[in-house]
Amino acid sequence: MSDSALSEEDDLLAAERAFGLLDASEVRAAEARADRDPVFAAACAYWDNHAAALAAGGGEEPGEALWAAIVARLPANDGGGVPVARLRRWQALTLAATAAAILLAVIGGPHIARQPPLTPAAVTPAAPLIATLTGKAGTVTISYDRANQKLLSAPNGLEVGDRAAELWVIPVGGKPRSLGVIAAATPRWQPARLPAASAIAPGATLAISLEPQGGSPTGQPTGPVVLTGSVVQA
Amino acid sequence: MIDGKPASSADMPADMLGALLRRVGLGDRAAFEALYRRTSAKLFGVCLRILPGRHEAEEALQEVYLSVWRRAESYDPARGTAMTWLITMARNRAVDRLRSGGKFTPAPIELADTVADGAPLATAIIEEGQDTARLAHCVGTLEAHEAVLIRTAFFEGATYAELATRVAMPLGTIKSRIRRALAKLRACLA
Repeated sequence: MSDSALSEEDDLLAAERAFGLLDASEVRAAEARADRDPVFAAACAYWDNHAAALAAGGGEEPGEALWAAIVARLPANDGGGVPVARLRRWQALTLAATAAAILLAVIGGPHIARQPPLTPAAVTPAAPLIATLTGKAGTVTISYDRANQKLLSAPNGLEVGDRAAELWVIPVGGKPRSLGVIAAATPRWQPARLPAASAIAPGATLAISLEPQGGSPTGQPTGPVVLTGSVVQA
Repeated sequence: MIDGKPASSADMPADMLGALLRRVGLGDRAAFEALYRRTSAKLFGVCLRILPGRHEAEEALQEVYLSVWRRAESYDPARGTAMTWLITMARNRAVDRLRSGGKFTPAPIELADTVADGAPLATAIIEEGQDTARLAHCVGTLEAHEAVLIRTAFFEGATYAELATRVAMPLGTIKSRIRRALAKLRACLA
């Protein structure tokens, strides 16, 4: 039994989710609930395990060539030639940089070493999301106004030569998604590119890569990534 | 299993697969290959049960492992074992593939004629480990039509609404039947 504190109705809901009976919106609602309700999450885990057992009877070796086919497709799925380990290192570095910046900002107080939560418990919908992107090519501040779906880019000493500066959002554990080319010399408000902009959330990484004029032809970064920063709630 | 060994979550320490998955999440390709070698036969079995034909199942299996590579970071041991996470991913990708491209036609289901087929043989179940055996036993205690409805949901991605259409019954009737079956399953599994 998953948990005696869970109502029978909710336990059945966890079972319905595990066996695939719910429609997409019901699944999303159940998953949001599991994110904030550990008892319900435990019931989901219990039923997922049994549903997986339904699928798991028997096994068969796939063709020997399949592994090579998977390996051949790996780089294309990790950001157009940017090794995934490097991307993840950026994420770790920018996370560390954010933590360090907060440490510097909050001088004094014995509790300053506490890690800031990546997802604040209470988020005011109107509060903008911001990121300061830093790197050798300069600094760019990005502010995303979710209510009006507008993106402000404010470059400071950004050097891009004859290339275009393309902005990317990299969700935690996800692939880069293009937010479009930003103006390299002047601050600019522009309409946020949806649905990619919906991935801008606390903890996500923003990055700027140098691309051919007009932006990356592949939908993934093709040039060097010159600036990165983590998204925080303003 | 080709090598004759069971490959359920019971036969390998859960933390070993979980540890491999965590290393995959850090971009460790050697761990990814080790994970593939240990789990691909089982996940291929999942794809084969859902998709018609070996070629389709192999295409799906590629997508499964590419998703594993991209999303291993999001695996949370508190939400279940690594094997359950992998099987769920395989089931979801295979069902997505089955239903994409407009080739899939949800066939009517004649509940009156259903027989409890498609279940693995008892000997195969015993080799698969306790979780699978227990679930198979409990599914076996359901009425044939109840088992068919649950299996159709799981293996064809049919929601309540689609099942109601396919058996030509009101949504409320089909819901209460399936929920009764799920309650029976729960009692049997407890």
